[in-house]
Amino acid sequence: MTHDAQPPGEKRSSPFDGPPLSLEEELAAARAEPEPGPDIATVNEALADGVNRCPKCGSTDVRLRGSTGNLVCLFCRNEWQESRVEEEFGLGEGIDELQGTVIAGGARDISADAGDVITMKCGGCGAEVVVDTAHAMNARCHWCRHTLNVNQQTSNGAVPDAVLPFRLTHAEAVERIREFASKRRLFAHPRFKKEFVPENVLGVYLPYLVIDARAEAAYTGRGEVQTRRWTEKKGDNTVTYYSADVFRVDRSVSFTVDDLTIEGAADRANFDSSTTNNIINTILPFDTKNAVQWNSSYLVGFTSEKRDLDVDGLHPVLEDQLLSIGRSQVEGSLREFDRGVRWEQEQLDVGGSRWVSMYLPVWLYSYQQESTGMLHYIAVNARTGETMGSVPVSQWRLVLAAMTVGTVLEGIAGFLLVAWS
Amino acid sequence: MIDLMLTVLASSDGPPVWLLAAGPAGAVATYWALYRYYRNTDKSHAFERDTLIEAKPVQGGREKIDHISRTRMSSIDGDNSRKHRARVQRLR
Repeated sequence: MTHDAQPPGEKRSSPFDGPPLSLEEELAAARAEPEPGPDIATVNEALADGVNRCPKCGSTDVRLRGSTGNLVCLFCRNEWQESRVEEEFGLGEGIDELQGTVIAGGARDISADAGDVITMKCGGCGAEVVVDTAHAMNARCHWCRHTLNVNQQTSNGAVPDAVLPFRLTHAEAVERIREFASKRRLFAHPRFKKEFVPENVLGVYLPYLVIDARAEAAYTGRGEVQTRRWTEKKGDNTVTYYSADVFRVDRSVSFTVDDLTIEGAADRANFDSSTTNNIINTILPFDTKNAVQWNSSYLVGFTSEKRDLDVDGLHPVLEDQLLSIGRSQVEGSLREFDRGVRWEQEQLDVGGSRWVSMYLPVWLYSYQQESTGMLHYIAVNARTGETMGSVPVSQWRLVLAAMTVGTVLEGIAGFLLVAWS
Repeated sequence: MIDLMLTVLASSDGPPVWLLAAGPAGAVATYWALYRYYRNTDKSHAFERDTLIEAKPVQGGREKIDHISRTRMSSIDGDNSRKHRARVQRLR
């Protein structure tokens, strides 16, 4: 069985590699060190690329059995699972000793010239089958019906280091989405209610980078401690005054984070108000400790989104989150400043970080609101069942409800004023 | 500004006319609460709480630099001790 990662139509003969080099350049190239491999090699060596066979009967009709989280052979019903990456690659260990940026094989930079579409040669009959890795990692050979699988870590970012299999079934996801939406019927947009079909929910593996990190954060600012509180008469009213001591406050904290999870797709990492991506972000965290070594058979029957963000581009996001974590850690030490603290400067030193790419499972119901063009999601974490969503609202109903409440309150206020005078 | 408005409203001799603001304020609050319940625009992953974090004891100190002898403000101006995601000047 062979794998052909070249785009369709590309010639197999050795490519033209530019004008001839000088002797010195040729010698330097010959002496050059080989390109360094990944810091953590996570390729599943047990799998050949192209056809994943059942270890018992050799069938390629393999898929995830949601109720057990195992792979099941649909031919002989044999069940098995890949090993957990946590133990396989020691990902839970040595976080407090991390140095620099350690990147697993599946989280390496995406090549700018790498295409989404790859061509595979079917191990069953030799036919060439095209797989669009932007959306799927499996394809059926249209001649012999073998299931072909992309397992090799390609430079387009489509194959992560690990995958967390779906646990919630389609029926359970439908039930949770229905329950979420039914609590929000009264002010929902009429068209949304009319077109609501939760059975259309799709199982999607979304790309994330899961990070272990060691950091030290330091903060400086001002804090105030109240020393006195008194009231003074001003006409018919009393006014409260305070006196306080002002302090310069500094705090620092060293900490490690285990499995901090951030979005690996640019479309999903955009949280501005024109999107509802915050909904998908809210259903984090996942039980990433249970992620298993990559096997694209886990994706059969589901869609997937390709990672398109590199570690370098995500460093600012990591630093921002580490600064926030540090701030939450020092908050408990500020109780003496009963008038509050205003942080003015902050500093972060990331001693080391370890990056692993994962596909995490989400049941996604999407609805495009025609009037605004906004895409609304109801998302279910397919491991924990946490559900969050954005339901388009009927503005006139919302305004009517607000005005009704406002009118009632105004009536009560008017009554009190009349009674007062 | 709000303090000044409240002083003006409270210092008048008649009944508390600020009660008349209850209607508009209630309407806006109702709209915003319902909108947020449906759209969840304010929700995000609470990574500060939901991530496995192991922290060493917090270090630091304080140094008195000033005294405020008389103010009507009940808390420090710009308190951001609980706004963990509000970034301030970053020292490199």
